[in-house]
Amino acid sequence: MRRPSQLRDIWARYRRNKLAMVGLFVVVVLVVTAIVGDYLTPYDAFEQNLLNATAPPSAEHWLGTDVLGRDLFSELIYGVRLAMIVAVSTVTLSLVLGVALGALAGYRGRATDTVLMRATDIFLAFPVLVGAIVVVRAAGQGIWPVIVALALFSWPVSARLMRGQVLALREADYVEAARSIGAGSRRIVIRHILPNAIAPVLVYAFTSIGVVVVGLASLSYLGIGVPPNVPEWGRLISQSVPFLRVPGKTHLWLYPAIAICLTTLGFALVADGLRDSLDPKLRGDG
Amino acid sequence: MPLIRKIRAGTVLTLAALLSLLPAGCAKRPNVGTQNGGVPLVGFPETPAPPRVPGKPGGVFRLGIVEPVAIDPYNSQESEGNLVTENLFTELVNVNPDGSVSPGVATSWTSNADCSQWAFTLKQGTTFHNGEPVDPAAFKRGWERAAARSAASEVAYHMNEIQGFDAMQAGTADHMSGVDATAPDRLVVTLAHPDCEFYLRTYKTVFSPVPTVAGPADNKAYNDQPIGNGPFMMDGPWQHDRGIRLKRFDGYAAGPKANLDEVDITILPSQGGVQAEYDGFNNGTFDWARLPTPLLSQARATYQPRGEWISKKTAGINYLLPMVTTPPLNSAAARKAISEAIDRVAIARGVFQGSQVPADAFVPPALPDAYQSGVCTACRYDPAEAKKLAQQAGLTPGSTVNFQFNTGGGHEEWTAAVTQQLKRNLGLNVNYSGVPFTDLLNNEQQPGASGIFRAAWGADYPTPGNFLQPLLSTAAIGATSPSQPATGDNRGRYSNSRFDQLLAQAAATRDKAQRIGLYQQAEQLAIGQDLAEIPLWFRQQFRLANTIKFGNVYLDFAEEPTLAEITLR
Amino acid sequence: MTRFVARRAAQAVLVLLVATLAIFLATFALGDPFASTGEKVVPPEVQAIDRAKFGLDKPLPVQYLTYLGNLVHLDFGVDFDQRRQVSSMLAETLPNTIRLALVAIALDVLIGVIAGVIAAVKRYSFTDVLVTVSSTLAIGVPTFVIGLVLVGYVSGFWIFPVVPRSFTVQVPWWHEVLLPAFTLAIIDAAFIARLMRGSMLEVLRADYIRTARSKGLPERVVIGKHAMRNSMIPVVTYVGISLGVLMGGAIITETIFQYNGIGYLLARAIQANNAPVIMAVVVVSVVVFVLLSLLVDILYAYLDPRIRLD
Repeated sequence: MRRPSQLRDIWARYRRNKLAMVGLFVVVVLVVTAIVGDYLTPYDAFEQNLLNATAPPSAEHWLGTDVLGRDLFSELIYGVRLAMIVAVSTVTLSLVLGVALGALAGYRGRATDTVLMRATDIFLAFPVLVGAIVVVRAAGQGIWPVIVALALFSWPVSARLMRGQVLALREADYVEAARSIGAGSRRIVIRHILPNAIAPVLVYAFTSIGVVVVGLASLSYLGIGVPPNVPEWGRLISQSVPFLRVPGKTHLWLYPAIAICLTTLGFALVADGLRDSLDPKLRGDG
Repeated sequence: MPLIRKIRAGTVLTLAALLSLLPAGCAKRPNVGTQNGGVPLVGFPETPAPPRVPGKPGGVFRLGIVEPVAIDPYNSQESEGNLVTENLFTELVNVNPDGSVSPGVATSWTSNADCSQWAFTLKQGTTFHNGEPVDPAAFKRGWERAAARSAASEVAYHMNEIQGFDAMQAGTADHMSGVDATAPDRLVVTLAHPDCEFYLRTYKTVFSPVPTVAGPADNKAYNDQPIGNGPFMMDGPWQHDRGIRLKRFDGYAAGPKANLDEVDITILPSQGGVQAEYDGFNNGTFDWARLPTPLLSQARATYQPRGEWISKKTAGINYLLPMVTTPPLNSAAARKAISEAIDRVAIARGVFQGSQVPADAFVPPALPDAYQSGVCTACRYDPAEAKKLAQQAGLTPGSTVNFQFNTGGGHEEWTAAVTQQLKRNLGLNVNYSGVPFTDLLNNEQQPGASGIFRAAWGADYPTPGNFLQPLLSTAAIGATSPSQPATGDNRGRYSNSRFDQLLAQAAATRDKAQRIGLYQQAEQLAIGQDLAEIPLWFRQQFRLANTIKFGNVYLDFAEEPTLAEITLR
Repeated sequence: MTRFVARRAAQAVLVLLVATLAIFLATFALGDPFASTGEKVVPPEVQAIDRAKFGLDKPLPVQYLTYLGNLVHLDFGVDFDQRRQVSSMLAETLPNTIRLALVAIALDVLIGVIAGVIAAVKRYSFTDVLVTVSSTLAIGVPTFVIGLVLVGYVSGFWIFPVVPRSFTVQVPWWHEVLLPAFTLAIIDAAFIARLMRGSMLEVLRADYIRTARSKGLPERVVIGKHAMRNSMIPVVTYVGISLGVLMGGAIITETIFQYNGIGYLLARAIQANNAPVIMAVVVVSVVVFVLLSLLVDILYAYLDPRIRLD
């Protein structure tokens, strides 16, 4: 079991990792932006000014305007919020599903294990994007279909990770001890196994946030998912494709692309840092 | 343990905070101001038809299209398929770029007094690419091949006026009783309903003649390599998803021979196809291209001075389709409120960069005899009047109006603009959604459908009747009761007996001027008074063409390049 | 060994059965493919004829069983748009996708392994930081951005063919395949570099490497022969999975480069609601994926004798 002193150790190790700290900074900025973003945007992200479309960056519009004359900076801030909501909801959903089913499979074993693991096989056999496209097309437009579709194809990985951990811990001494004093299965799993098994799953969750952000953008790029008047990053890029080779219009696609990269990068760095500091053995320090 | 609790609590808190903030809003700077230089006046001027250049044989003309559904005339339907079929086949009549009609295989055509029977006199000695003669029987063969039930043709409906067509569609007859091909040089067609404009229809590719080798409609070999009687012939079968190669038919006798040796038609991705055409023109791959809307004004500035820019008003209209039998748009006032709340000029300038002409009628000016400028009184932008009308119609701020459009067709930007204007000018809660095209059509047909849908119509033949009859007549609803899906083209379910009467009267009127007068009255009623469709922009087409190497390049009535006339300079 | 293979094969068949059923149901949830295809309405009688022709008037279970029955003979049915054999569409496009996948994987491994090894051997050097940072960055860039930039700014130069080009222009396949393969490889190479660096670092600390070094073996041999081989295990797994994913068609990349593979085929089919083609492509990609993961499991066992198969 982890005690507060362990937490301090983890944080101390994490703090030494410069890249991880950079990542943490990015993530904190993104989360704060997502929460208070509405107070940061100079314009309403949805308000069009058709007479001033594709304007270059200026004092009025710091990053210029998009093809509908909407303020690009405000749109990107709105995009942060959208990406964060989709990413956090998707990852939470897939984490809850994955952890619960993974723990069940690992602890129960036998038929339950076989059935659940074959289920993960089936989901893993689909290319994520293709699977998500089919699900979103069938479920209709909106944020929730996207969240559900992306979660549907990402829970199996956390389930498998969780199962592996539970299998290893099931036979651990302290679990034996708990069992011997007559603790029930549910109590053992929830109080004793889960807290110790969840670290790698959490690390995976952080890694997968980037995947979800790119997935959301790819779906919007293909015109699937969020409604087209929503300034989602992938949508902003796809509507500026005609301007790809037009000089002076680079801002249309470059800034949304940077926003996507920065977000993914931030979460990937935090995930790396977390992994290293949670389990010092994995880090090459020796 | 505490680590877990903390993270979990944190995640939940963050999520809750994010979600609660989503609809929030606070005071923002107004997004106003314009760019220097300004945007051109609304509507790019037309470029005149190019001066005729004497033809000389030779040259390869290259262009890109997306994969057609079919090039066999029995089912050739969208502009990509038509481009190929139109050049492989010559029908009874031709329609010129300006909408006038000239002879095709038929040298003359006449009808009886009530327009219920038509006789076409055919040119003698014309043949198919394989040498078979083009006679009345070849036409009958082609028409019946498409009308047969087993063909399941999606374009055979153009023949629906011909006697015996229904029996063929039902599968109870093998021949169309109304088509008489017994004379050697005359094709006689009997109609079930009189139509003084029937001859115009025969210009559609589904009315093509076919040789005996065509076989039934499901003959795969013929589907991919049709043998026709047009100025060009297939050079090898259709290479699906890659390209189609046409070569000149030297035995062509139905009109002047083509000049080009070869036409190379490359098949492009359906998503971003227009962009690919434009890129291909720029990199020298193609001699002809459509343009992505956002680049229109830039491309015009580059190519117009070089004479490579074509701009032409065509017989089509972009409009919003209101559901006129279901609330909230079941009153003319409500529809007019929507229409007057849309700033067509601002959208034409902003989204279309001044290229499109805001509509003030439903029948477009490309049909100059029939066009009535200003017949749509509710087509002007008047937000104050719109508010009044909305109030009157019970379309109060906060009311929900559905607005659907199809994704992937380049409609994202202007529909987003319309949505915002309806929100701003009428305070409506616009339920805006983009769906795949098939879903859009399906949703429009449903009995409970309400609100507005994106729509466009291109004329099949040059007559106002082709706008009014299929889109607004009661017969074209295609549903016997309000609880059935509307299977016809009139999916707004507008029904007005006076309007139907005017159309019937027009169809049976032989005198052209009188007939057009009746059509104009009908438009006055359905659009001026009832606003059963909400016109947005008149259709205008823009193309880039390699006029440096080629002469006589222009857009024909069906918006295709005039391949049969193009010649090396 | 035989028992293991047999069991995994049985599982694979089960996965395939359930997966095809899922695709079947999802594809049909996409809606009626005959509702209408153009601006103008298809008459209801024609729609009915079409539905009957494709057996869509029969109950769903019958349709599914018929489909499975045909599938056994590699008959994927007829497409809804042009009524062509779907199997012949696959035969045209699948080889292109396989080619693209193989070139992409070769690039992946080449770039990824070299970068990873250098980063691990020269730890904390400038190169290491460069590899770490650029590989992390590369993971964050969406494929469509890389693809768009390459099409916009690189195609048309040197041996990279212009996009689009006329179908009459013959381009050697290795010219055509390079840019899309590179687009696909960037992200995977970054993953592999990170994997390789991590596992290499671990191996380098192992006793047998210390022994090898103390025996005075040249560093080249220590790294090249002993360390590399053992650090490749996670890379092999990753490459196997990645190959499976790529064979399933790179829907965005193939579309951007107008590359005639099954990903591009799928993109068009989704646009047109062409259910039999969607079905066929997804079935193929699932089959390929399942077969490859079976292969990886077996390969894995050979590479690492500690893994027991039964």
